Amino acid sequence: MSAGFHMEDEAHQKAYDAKLMRRLMGYVKPYTAWFSVAVVLLFVASIIGNFTPLIVMKAIDTHVNNPVRMEKELSIRNAPTTDRAALAELEELKRQDRRGLFNLMMLICLMMLAESVFRYVQMIVVAWIGQKTMFEMRMKIFSHLQNMSLRFLDKNPLGRLMTRVTNDVEKVQATIVAGVEQTISDMFTIVVVVIFMLWTNWQIAAIVLSTIPFVFITGVIFRKFARKSYLEVRRKVARLNAYMQEMVSGMRVVQVFRQEARCFGQFREINAEHRDEWFRQIRNFAIYYPIVDFLGTLALTLIIFYHGWDVLGRQASGENMVQVGLFFAYLQWAERLYGPIRALTDRYNVLLEAMASSERIFTLLDTPEDIPNKPNGVKPKALQGRVEFRDVWFGYDAEHPVLKGINLTIEPGERIAIVGHTGAGKTTFINLLGRFYDIQRGSILVDGVDVRDYDKTELRRRIGIVLQDVFLFSGSIKSNISLNSPGITDETIRECAAHVNAAPFIESLPEQYEFAVGERGGNLSTGQRQLLAFARALAHDPQILILDEATSSVDTATEALIQDAILKLMDERTSIVIAHRLSTVQHADRIVVMHHGEIREVGTHQELLAHRGLYYTLYRLQYKDQSEAA
Amino acid sequence: MNFVVPPARIGRPFITLLRYNRRFWKAYAFGLALATFFSLVNLAMPMVLGHMVDLFNSRALNRPMLTAYCGALIGLGVITGIARYFERTLIIGASRRFEFDLRNDYFLAVQSQSREFFTRTPTGEILARASNDIAYVRELIGPGMMGTVDMLRLPFTLAVMVYYSAHLTLVACMPLPLVSILVYLFISYINKQSQKVQDQFGVVTTRVQENLAGARVVQAYGIGDVETAAFAKESEIYMREGVKLSVVMSFAWPVIGMMVGAVMLLVVWRGGDMVLNGEYITRLKWTADGIGFTSVKFTLGDFTAFLACLLLLAWPLAEFGWVMTLYQRGAVSMKRIAEYMAHIPDIRDTEKTDFSIANVKGSIEFVDVSLRYDGRTALKNVSFKVEAGETIAIVGATGSGKTSIVSLLTREYDPSEGTVQIDGTDARTIPLQTLRGSIAYVPQDTFLFSDTIRANLTFGRPDADQAETDHAADVAQLTETIDSFPERYETLLGERGVNLSGGQKQRLAIARAVVLDAPILVLDDALSSVDTHTEELILQRLKSVMAQRTSIIISHRVSTVRHADQILLLENGEIVERGTHDELIARGGHYAEMHERQLLEEELETTA
Ligand SMILES: Nc1ncnc2c1ncn2[C@@H]1O[C@H](COP(=O)(O)OP(=O)(O)OP(=O)(O)O)[C@@H](O)[C@H]1O
Ligand SMILES: Nc1ncnc2c1ncn2[C@@H]1O[C@H](COP(=O)(O)OP(=O)(O)OP(=O)(O)O)[C@@H](O)[C@H]1O
Ligand SMILES: [Mg+2]
Ligand SMILES: [Mg+2]
Repeated sequence: MSAGFHMEDEAHQKAYDAKLMRRLMGYVKPYTAWFSVAVVLLFVASIIGNFTPLIVMKAIDTHVNNPVRMEKELSIRNAPTTDRAALAELEELKRQDRRGLFNLMMLICLMMLAESVFRYVQMIVVAWIGQKTMFEMRMKIFSHLQNMSLRFLDKNPLGRLMTRVTNDVEKVQATIVAGVEQTISDMFTIVVVVIFMLWTNWQIAAIVLSTIPFVFITGVIFRKFARKSYLEVRRKVARLNAYMQEMVSGMRVVQVFRQEARCFGQFREINAEHRDEWFRQIRNFAIYYPIVDFLGTLALTLIIFYHGWDVLGRQASGENMVQVGLFFAYLQWAERLYGPIRALTDRYNVLLEAMASSERIFTLLDTPEDIPNKPNGVKPKALQGRVEFRDVWFGYDAEHPVLKGINLTIEPGERIAIVGHTGAGKTTFINLLGRFYDIQRGSILVDGVDVRDYDKTELRRRIGIVLQDVFLFSGSIKSNISLNSPGITDETIRECAAHVNAAPFIESLPEQYEFAVGERGGNLSTGQRQLLAFARALAHDPQILILDEATSSVDTATEALIQDAILKLMDERTSIVIAHRLSTVQHADRIVVMHHGEIREVGTHQELLAHRGLYYTLYRLQYKDQSEAA
Repeated sequence: MNFVVPPARIGRPFITLLRYNRRFWKAYAFGLALATFFSLVNLAMPMVLGHMVDLFNSRALNRPMLTAYCGALIGLGVITGIARYFERTLIIGASRRFEFDLRNDYFLAVQSQSREFFTRTPTGEILARASNDIAYVRELIGPGMMGTVDMLRLPFTLAVMVYYSAHLTLVACMPLPLVSILVYLFISYINKQSQKVQDQFGVVTTRVQENLAGARVVQAYGIGDVETAAFAKESEIYMREGVKLSVVMSFAWPVIGMMVGAVMLLVVWRGGDMVLNGEYITRLKWTADGIGFTSVKFTLGDFTAFLACLLLLAWPLAEFGWVMTLYQRGAVSMKRIAEYMAHIPDIRDTEKTDFSIANVKGSIEFVDVSLRYDGRTALKNVSFKVEAGETIAIVGATGSGKTSIVSLLTREYDPSEGTVQIDGTDARTIPLQTLRGSIAYVPQDTFLFSDTIRANLTFGRPDADQAETDHAADVAQLTETIDSFPERYETLLGERGVNLSGGQKQRLAIARAVVLDAPILVLDDALSSVDTHTEELILQRLKSVMAQRTSIIISHRVSTVRHADQILLLENGEIVERGTHDELIARGGHYAEMHERQLLEEELETTA
């Protein structure tokens, strides 16, 4: 909704950034060979294509409008004759012209066929390269996102990140590969056309070319206005997506609190901004295109005028007739010249749009993992489970420490419970253990090795966490427990489900373990979701098990059953349990009481009661309540 | 303005589009008129040319005439340019307005859907349709329409061509039947393949959405590479289908190219012959005594004009394939969008709704209510009654149906059998807004928006004043937390409130409900994430809030529910015990057991 907490979605870019372009082309590099094939095909097609006007010209000027024949015809018409020889001669001339015309037409046909086929093959090659590079870019962003820290993910709206992987990639692909290839070939075409034109009649060529600078000037002016708009449009699109994504996720709350009208109002506003940005852009285009078209018309008129003037001059000296064919060749060439020039500017605009997208993508890809893996990080085969916090200071932002000088050693196989008021820093504490955030001061050691020296993925794999906020994927119950990790058998899944007492409910479902869980587990009860998340942690056979309020939504009878099972399971392993219900922490070897980011008390239940400190107060409250209930 | 798509019309996207765009008819009509106008203007060009050539050949042209002709051509160019400007702003502008409307209506349609829809439909899919599909439909209307309008030249140009020579026009049209067959095949394939591509795009989007939403789990279990592999699979399908589509789409190029080539060939060949032979053709002629046909010689000038006409046609024809693609793609997208827009939410105000009901007092009665989700029974014959102002508590094992009872009350679902009555009338007759407005609900799963704490707290009542806000924060024991943030109420939250602790989030959700001045309060396990000390304080403060309201409290803790006027114990969707705390203890059933167990735990702790 609001941008404040989130990082700004600004991109400050130059219109055409050569560095950006080079980087984009890096994606095409593996396909250089294919790319060159496409370019060559296009070259050939373009040369062939530019020959056709020449042939049409020849067809018209030397056959249809054969001056020799025309002269004869005219003279015969002016002075009708019955001279058989003269008539036969004319017939012969006609016959020759007809044959010549036919031959040239066949040639054109072949050339057009060849041009079409070349172009077709070239288009397919380019489409293929485009899709390939898009795929690779998409994969690159996706896997990059897998390594981004939670801090980063917290700060970037999901919808915006999604826009990068989906729409932005789409935008880039649509233009970069095709755009670059066509630009190369367009430039080539322009050169070829100019050469053809100069070769045929340099004066006319000069006239046509004289209009080109104006086209470029128009383009430059237009671009100045268009550029800013494109950047804005991309931003607005990301905002629309982000808002929509959040609304859809929170639709239940919106509806139950019947804020539909208000939320729609906000959406409408963003939508309107998006529309208005486009309106600005439309005006730019609407002015630009007609101007270029007009310049094209101007060029044509100039050809007519020049050619006409010239022919009239020569006609006066009784020399020649109009060369319709030449004229047509020029018409076609002018079109073939204006086409690519117009396309160049056009494409430049699309390129701008793509640049806006690619800049965003690269900014994302360039965001370093702020939790970097050490090269050759330790990849433990197994952990013993010894955890040591040494004077750990940490805040989500550096000025506001959430944990202040935490010192704690947990022995392998120990069962630790953490209690404390809400917001005391318990979840933060365990987030640090899995190195989801890096600390500002002090060190955290697992088996005597600093967590920063581990390969973070390997470390995390050895630690099983049941998060406070349960997340289930859409998919089967089975895949939610195993997360498709290799080596987790159906047998294990069943066992773990049984341990957390989820088996009865799963087995009552029609498809049992294949039951299709909805998005975020929407078709399960909250407690059931929590049980599955719990089973998931057990299935991954962790050496350190962390339970963050893992049974907070589960009824007490089930909770008691689970506890018994866990007790046996985790006998040899380290476990850290966060719970508000003191009954849940009773089995712990030691209880850690956290308060405002500090460890206040550590000890067994009895010790802490005897200490009559914070724990005692917490406990007494609950106890008082219970005895009152009795 | 909410545009309703009838379900029967999902499969007919063009009708939907037509009806949708009716409101812009003026823009389109005007744009069309302009296009027609400059098509005509454009046609003047070949005619002028032809005329000039004939004048040349008969040596009747002089330099002043030439200058005049060229001046006229430039004048026509200027007029065309101006017409083009308006055409573009009108049509493309309308398409953006249409896009705006469509996106709004899509949002409204999604917003009106019920839980059932959202459980079934992946968020990514909803988003993909909002972004990509709407964009494609817009392209159909904007650039697609422009392209179509461009093709308007076709009939005019053909008319002029017929004027010059009907015979030659017929010759030019010879390749047409073959092309139509190809176009037909082409269109149906593009349609099918676009559907595949767009559907797959939805799948890809959904994958990304889920992966990012579950980033914490993905990272905690180090399954990034598994996820990446799964994503690669879907992306690859998307890529493959995309390539297939391109292969066919590009095919339009050689086909059209060939056609233009073939036409050119036929015309030059045959037309050249006609000029060569000095053939006569019949032509419409204006004479003093009306319009009539005369026989004239087909001149080089005629031939020139005819060829120039063909050149004019080349561009719209080349565009044809592209426009067809836009149409097919847009049609598929419109279908996909309409699918959601036409979906009638199963929960809505109907004819049965009595709009005279403006408020609710708060007595609730469930009469023999059963609820099934996809055939799975969640509630069986549940009956109970709560008078206005009373407190009812619901306990029961995980998955026993507690939350389901509440969803029936808020009408996120409707009962499969039986009725839910509020103030003695069927909840289904109460306007949805009135009903939901009378319930202050703390859902079991907290959802917060990425906005300020204040905006979240007053989400249901944006007009709440400072005193009310403070009071709600105080009841939820949030004051201290808020004070600990430098920006207090204006502190910005991340998505889903990521920068708050579990308990802080839940308490904010409580405050959000308390600030509503509603006759019914529902707490669904609303204290599961707060510590016992805070829980105690909140419960104490809630007492005064609850005193004036009908309250439904769901909890696993005996301590939370024991003061309720009535306690229901659910088991597998059935009420198995009911009564006050003392009655239930005396009965010695499951509730008593539960109480015993929770007491025992305490004993254990003290004596351990
Ligand atoms: N991702 C985050 N970004 C910024 N601040 C955060 C983030 N997560 C937590 N905090 C802040 O850090 C403090 C400690 O939060 P933490 O989640 O560790 O509490 P907790 O002890 O787990 O509380 P609870 O029992 O409510 O879950 C809180 O004040 C919270 O607002
Ligand atoms: N939206 C849904 N779609 C399909 N099935 C559902 C849905 N919500 C709940 N269920 C199923 O209905 C049954 C009752 O669920 P409900 O959420 O009412 O349980 P609960 O008593 O609230 O449990 P908990 O204590 O875990 O919150 C469960 O078996 C659950 O899987
Ligand atoms: Mg926490
Ligand atoms: Mg529930």
